[in-house]
Amino acid sequence: MLLSHGSLGWKLKSSLYVITGVIAAFLALPIFFIMALSFGSSQWLVFPPPSWTLKWYERFFDNPQWIESAWTSLQVASLTSIIATLLAIPASFALVRGKFRGRDYLYTFFTLPMVVPVVIIAVAVYGTFLNLGLTGTLFAFVTSHVIIALPFAIISIINSLRLFDKSIEDAAVICGAHRIQAILKVTFPVIKPGVISAALFSFLVSWDEVVISVMMASPNLQTLPVKMWSTLRQDLTPVIAVASTLLILLSLFIMIIASFVRKQSNHR
Amino acid sequence: MLIISSRKKWNNITLLFPIILFLFLFFLMPLASLLLRSLTEPTFGLQNYAQLLATSTYMQVLFNTFLVGTLVTVISLLIGFPLSWCITLMPKGWGRFLISIILLSMWTSLLARTYSWLVLLQSSGIINKTLMAIGIIDQPLEMVHNLTGVIIGMSYIMVPFIVLPLQACMSAIDPMVLQAASICGASARTVFFRVFLPLCKPGLFSGALMVFVMSLGYYVTPALLGGVSDMMLPEFIVQQIQNFLNWGMASASAVFLILITLVLFYLYLKVQTDSPVSSNTGA
Repeated sequence: MLLSHGSLGWKLKSSLYVITGVIAAFLALPIFFIMALSFGSSQWLVFPPPSWTLKWYERFFDNPQWIESAWTSLQVASLTSIIATLLAIPASFALVRGKFRGRDYLYTFFTLPMVVPVVIIAVAVYGTFLNLGLTGTLFAFVTSHVIIALPFAIISIINSLRLFDKSIEDAAVICGAHRIQAILKVTFPVIKPGVISAALFSFLVSWDEVVISVMMASPNLQTLPVKMWSTLRQDLTPVIAVASTLLILLSLFIMIIASFVRKQSNHR
Repeated sequence: MLIISSRKKWNNITLLFPIILFLFLFFLMPLASLLLRSLTEPTFGLQNYAQLLATSTYMQVLFNTFLVGTLVTVISLLIGFPLSWCITLMPKGWGRFLISIILLSMWTSLLARTYSWLVLLQSSGIINKTLMAIGIIDQPLEMVHNLTGVIIGMSYIMVPFIVLPLQACMSAIDPMVLQAASICGASARTVFFRVFLPLCKPGLFSGALMVFVMSLGYYVTPALLGGVSDMMLPEFIVQQIQNFLNWGMASASAVFLILITLVLFYLYLKVQTDSPVSSNTGA
């Protein structure tokens, strides 16, 4: 009765719905609030704003520092996404298909970067890269982002690979296909949604990453969140609202693609 | 099958080699060298740990870290439970709508969300203004750069991590079990506390544990929404490195943070019995 919609008393039901409405608003409103403020004219982020304007967007796009950092973010996130996915695909195959001891331990090891606090990873990698003189390079950004993107990539590929019936691939091999050919032509199309979401989520992880990036950044090379971070520490200028809006829109766009990919795979 | 099994073993090693090499070089080695530094800098010995334990600031930082972790876990449980319950109750479409709001919030840039709270909570912000307009308060409440700000911002971020496991757990409960209890004469209250809640326990427990662990290691939100006096462990570690170049102290406190995290993670794995890779040994 507590779990069936019809039989719950109206008092309990309506109070539950009201609470849920409030919570949903609590979760969603800050996101729309900041997007609305990026169009507000008030320097002090008064809400509702006295009038609407695009001047903060002009400020953003006129400042080469913002544009360059956004461009760096895009580069780092794309490279991270590609490398993490390429590392995760063979590993997932070995973990799902292999029959060797310690698979569970390996899986735990691969997902460990998700568990260890990001701050620790940031400080550790920073220490090592500082000694090697690698901080402030694209290499440093990408490698450190790949570390924390890998768990997401591994998990989503493993999940799709587990659902695939290997005997179909074996059938292709028995019919004369080479194993590689069978994997590419039979297995890959089926697990493609998993691979695509691995790539998308790796991209997103890198695109949003702050703590590690702040450590890796140099005055010449920084990502968008780093630029936001350093600006935020000085003042709350609405230009940050513009940058936030761009971050949110990209995340939203990627989430929509991801859910679209998932839907397509469900239709099969 | 027997003939190719030895070659197969080879294949697994080749397939796993790149990722293991990568994580070894860029994850394990840096981590190990960071931990080693707590024993070797400035000189070999345990002096960093002794110094940490003797510093009252550090004790305060530890206290703050656990206080924030506990409060955030409790609050996000209180928010997450009714939400999960409602998602389970609602017709499918609405439930899915709520889940997508949760996912949207979860995958929206952390920095953007924290910035939004910074603006919302500031003394001239909309929350203070509304409260003053209604007449609940005369003076703006201090809600940022203190513990309140950290708790609000962190709970906001952690709610999705409670709801997702808890909702999965709730939707797996057979409604008939609850009905059976009430047919046998249990009151709604009894069904809730004696049947429903115990059945939700795995979801509650894994969600709470995850949120607690994550809260201990959060840096961005406490650094922006918190004040100087409520510094948490991650901020302390970064400060030791960036401001004082004191790698020894930073590493010693990092060791502590890692130890707590790994112990709690081990507990989490114990709670979650099914393995993601081994359970499919059908073939």
